[in-house]
Amino acid sequence: MDDFEKYIKENKLLFDEHKPDRTKLWSHIDVELNADFKEETVTFWRSPMIKIAAAVVILIGVFSLTTIFTAANESNDFANQELNDIDTYYKNLVSFQVELVKNNAKLSEEDKEEFLSFMDELDKEHLLLKEEMAANLNNEYILEAIIQNYKKRIELIENLLEQIKDSKKSDDNEGYIL
Amino acid sequence: MKTNILYTHKDLIEKSKSGDRNSQYKLYELYIDAMYNVSMRILGIKEDAEDIIQDSFVDAFKNLTAFRYESTFGSWLKRIVINKSINHLKLKKVPVIPLEQHEYYIGEEMNEPIKTMDVTKIKKGIAQLPDGYKQIINLYLIEGYDHIEISEILEISSSTSKSQYHRAKKKLIQIINTLE
Repeated sequence: MDDFEKYIKENKLLFDEHKPDRTKLWSHIDVELNADFKEETVTFWRSPMIKIAAAVVILIGVFSLTTIFTAANESNDFANQELNDIDTYYKNLVSFQVELVKNNAKLSEEDKEEFLSFMDELDKEHLLLKEEMAANLNNEYILEAIIQNYKKRIELIENLLEQIKDSKKSDDNEGYIL
Repeated sequence: MKTNILYTHKDLIEKSKSGDRNSQYKLYELYIDAMYNVSMRILGIKEDAEDIIQDSFVDAFKNLTAFRYESTFGSWLKRIVINKSINHLKLKKVPVIPLEQHEYYIGEEMNEPIKTMDVTKIKKGIAQLPDGYKQIINLYLIEGYDHIEISEILEISSSTSKSQYHRAKKKLIQIINTLE
């Protein structure tokens, strides 16, 4: 390298004498980059392979969704069936006992009224719970509440039975005393 | 140390690769002045250089994934600018190498020495060089490419590059010496 070359190399920066219009140039670059981005996305979707792939993905999606839904419905039906069985069993039991209570001559009208109004309340609660149940089957709380509802009815009936027995006893005692 | 230089602005480059416009702008800000001057030296016309620079940055950002730190980002970008500028000259049918072929070149070693070293004079001298000489002087003296790199850029052999450079330099010194 001779002196002339060395001199230029050492003063290289002095050869940068032009000042670009930075803002103007960037605005053009920015526009073009945005345009290219749009073009890329458009051409991407235009490609026939992509169209086929997208169609396949959609078909698979629809197929799996329908299978999932039918499967879910089947299991819903199954669970509902079981629930219905339990429900009818308790319903029959409860209504049978309610009839017994109604027809029991030994109970006072007041006690009957009280018992039946309690039963009505529990019936209302039970209906509400069943509606909730249809909306979201897998909710443990609702299931538990339904069971609680049945338990209360049974408890109520048991209490009533106790009452009948007690009144019998007191009657007997009375007789004995007399 | 060399690897450190290669990874200059790695963070910005990586973000730009994923299309982050903010990082792309930061890279642009860092390199625009140098790149514009590179293009101006080759093309000499403001509007042409602006077109080439815009085109170069758009291309660079679009193809940034191809940049794998084998060189610095600056030299990668500069190569894009230079290639585009040279192609632009070719399209405009401006000769990028002297019309005479290098075979006619005889090893003349009686080069006249330069009288005064002065950047302004050298710039003026380069501006007055015939088109074919200008590019090789730019590429070798100012841009700092070696003859192998120049042979790739100008699509000539490296021996042609060498001989053309010597002729161009001789011509340049002659011009500078005539300047007042």
